[in-house]
Amino acid sequence: MTLHPRRRRTRGRLLLALAALVATLPLLTVPVGAAHADGYVPINGAGSSWSSNAIDQWRRNVEQYGMRINYASTGSSDGRNQFKAGTVDFASTEIPYGLKDGGVLDTLPTRSFAYMPIVAGGTAFMYNLQVGGHRVTNLRLSGEVLTKIFTGVITSWDDAAIKADNPGLALPPRKIVPVVRSDGSGSTAQFSTWMAARYPSLWNAYCAKAGRSTPCGVTSNFPTVAGKGFVSQPNSQGVAGYVAQTANQGTITYVEYSYALKTGYPVAKILNAAGYYVEPTASNVAVALLSARINDDKSSPAYLTQDLSRVYTSTDPRTYPLSSYSYVVVPTATQNGFTEAKGKTLGAFAYYFLCEGQQQAPVLGYSPLPVNLVKAGLAQVRRIPGVAAQSIDIKSCHNPTFSADGSNTLAKNAPQPSECDKLGTTQCSTGTGGAKGTTTPVTSGKTPPGKGTSTGSTSGGTGAGTGTGTGAGTGTGTGTSGTGATGKGTGTGTGTGTGGAAAGTDAGAAPGTDAAGAAGGTTSVVAADYGGGPVSCEADTGVCQAVAGLPVQTDKPSSAGAQQLAAVLAVLLVLGAILAPPLVARARRGASGGGRA
Amino acid sequence: MTDLDDLPRRTSTRRAPADRAFRGVLRTGGITVLAIMSFVGIFLLARAWQALRVAGPGFLTTQTWEPDSGNFGIAAVLVGTLLIATVAVSVALPLALGTSLYISEYAPTRLRRTLVSLVDLMAAVPSVVFGLWGFFWLQGNLTGIARWVSTVFAWFPPLSVEGADPDDPLSPVTLYTSSTFVAGLVVALMITPIMTSIMREVFMQAPVGEREGALALGSTRWGMIRSVVLPYGMGGIIGGTMLGLGRALGETIAVYMIISPVFAVQWHVLQNGANSVSSLIALRYGEASPFGMSALMAAGLALFLLTLAVNFGASSIVARSRSGASS
Repeated sequence: MTLHPRRRRTRGRLLLALAALVATLPLLTVPVGAAHADGYVPINGAGSSWSSNAIDQWRRNVEQYGMRINYASTGSSDGRNQFKAGTVDFASTEIPYGLKDGGVLDTLPTRSFAYMPIVAGGTAFMYNLQVGGHRVTNLRLSGEVLTKIFTGVITSWDDAAIKADNPGLALPPRKIVPVVRSDGSGSTAQFSTWMAARYPSLWNAYCAKAGRSTPCGVTSNFPTVAGKGFVSQPNSQGVAGYVAQTANQGTITYVEYSYALKTGYPVAKILNAAGYYVEPTASNVAVALLSARINDDKSSPAYLTQDLSRVYTSTDPRTYPLSSYSYVVVPTATQNGFTEAKGKTLGAFAYYFLCEGQQQAPVLGYSPLPVNLVKAGLAQVRRIPGVAAQSIDIKSCHNPTFSADGSNTLAKNAPQPSECDKLGTTQCSTGTGGAKGTTTPVTSGKTPPGKGTSTGSTSGGTGAGTGTGTGAGTGTGTGTSGTGATGKGTGTGTGTGTGGAAAGTDAGAAPGTDAAGAAGGTTSVVAADYGGGPVSCEADTGVCQAVAGLPVQTDKPSSAGAQQLAAVLAVLLVLGAILAPPLVARARRGASGGGRA
Repeated sequence: MTDLDDLPRRTSTRRAPADRAFRGVLRTGGITVLAIMSFVGIFLLARAWQALRVAGPGFLTTQTWEPDSGNFGIAAVLVGTLLIATVAVSVALPLALGTSLYISEYAPTRLRRTLVSLVDLMAAVPSVVFGLWGFFWLQGNLTGIARWVSTVFAWFPPLSVEGADPDDPLSPVTLYTSSTFVAGLVVALMITPIMTSIMREVFMQAPVGEREGALALGSTRWGMIRSVVLPYGMGGIIGGTMLGLGRALGETIAVYMIISPVFAVQWHVLQNGANSVSSLIALRYGEASPFGMSALMAAGLALFLLTLAVNFGASSIVARSRSGASS
């Protein structure tokens, strides 16, 4: 059989392509060669996607020393199982071995191992929500509301319970779409531990609906109930990527804070036991974890693991309640393909991230380890077989938590939450997470009958106003004014109240409109009292004014009928363009044929 | 004694050593492939046995997947797999048919080569890339179409979306994401190249004599295609489609990235929530307990048998057709 000339040419081209591929191979393998030159062999790890943003940054950083660390962020459960099976050299996880999940015990691996804390962080609640075409960036949620959202009890953003947490926001009647992890994950484990500890009845009721046995307790696989409108996605990248799609409004998910920073989306401030709504910043996480109990029994296999129950109830106003540590599981014997050469690489990598690596934690969206855990971690490194032991002076690590007297500097210097973050009628307008730069205009909340306070600012006189809101509330407002005018007004109609308003000429609001107060120049007056009505702010000037109502952004085109008609017409046109020529030709042929006959 | 005369003469062939060696190599290759296939089947059956014994016949009818509590079955995932494959094939078949006909019959010779390599290039795109593209780009841009279809064809149950209210401007767009439709569309783009290649290859083999005959009898090019190329290439069309279907049934990572897994039979192809056997395995194998692993193996066995049936069906159809029999 002879080859067809074209075939032969194809084969020739294929060979060329192969040759080109072979030629590029050495280019790809250059780093491996370099790694061998420095005496480090490549090692493999797998596990948590919660901490993967930090691990990925660190392993990129140590590549310059010739260390090649492969890491697959496939979820904590997968990491633990792969370490157990001996297919990876180290695993990263938020929860230890030996926990019961859905009635099944996660048995300890037969190879000897040790836990080593790597970084701290907060499980954040990233969301995508808009009001009037502007993204909401200052959402606040109490623990109970949060649990109810993720157990399908609260299903709409305009629920009264959410309104109570957010007195300054008028949220739309949009459906809440909780986005949960579909794979076994440490984030789910952290979140479910918290729910099981704080709101066991809600959590167990939900678990029972999903067909799990109760009490549900901690689980790595979020149970889902069909028809609840929950969305499951694999991996932290999956859930964060889903929420971060602009069109997916109304979604909320639990993910490490760093993912919100990376995608530029805000996170919800969570109410802590001291009555403040707090964001999972590095310092707030550090403060919270001062209350974590660490297993300090060196002989226990669970040495250094965490018990977070006191973190949930810590009464420091700066506490972020869903803070936790993340761990790596390292082998302590040469088994399952782990060699001393690999131990050398793993040890050097561990020394790097426990010391220098911690500096980068706050920038990445994590919180650095405190000094006692770094010390304990450094001691654990020595248990890795083949490690080139170093004695590190922890002062040279520039870890933000270190201080001469041993206290946690980061926690000590953590700023107190702003007064507008306190549980009550005020709400901060500043953005959170990856959307810090975007402020969200707020209105003051329902004025409690009798008295409402609004803080104005700076110079000028003070204006005091009395107003009647719906249900006859009286608000006393202090506003800025050059003249010290006093505003008095009565509001009628739904949702309109009156505030004591004194902003230059605005004094004395007309009945039925809201008076804008405290529009004072440059000082950021966050607790401005706009009389309980909606407020519209111009993005470029920052000038706010009270309006009768905000436009609701709609997804559905208003002229749906016309558009549908246009679509149908277009389809018909295309069909006509395809079908008409042959039909016409046939008709003409038929006619001429008939003529001939 | 007369019987002996009726017996055919025994013939024997003496083959040269080179010939024998060549035959031996080929035979070994063939047997090895068969052996590997059956070992895969035996391995799956052996590993799945533990789970199958616990689940019993309920394995085929149960929708939930909680192997550790003994309550698991493949009803939901198998139906989901078939639905995704159906969507994929019904999109890919017209696309591949049109592309291959254009390349083999209409395209200018110079353009033809470029097109062929473009289609082959499409086949070389890794499925994870398709998955990323589908998740981050296609999904968001597809919701409008899904919403329109589900509104207009709401009377047809598979195309309706539960909980959607077209009159509510604030209804969540997420209802139309992570669906069988989106996953099926991405899989369709992944199976189109292989379907196109097979169909084009067969169409190009349509006998020149018959083509010229049809043209000489005064038929148009489309008439020639209809009367010669398509009947001749029917085996290729079916075979290519079946191969595409086989790949669609087994597609893992792109589906895994897009769908939001539900463990209930989800007939509404446009609605959020879908499932497939291979994505279930990809999702759960990492964290499965030994028994859960056995259950996953059982699901894998079901998929293996299904794919085997599809491919055998395809090969028997192709073998009976004209183009298939000669090739």
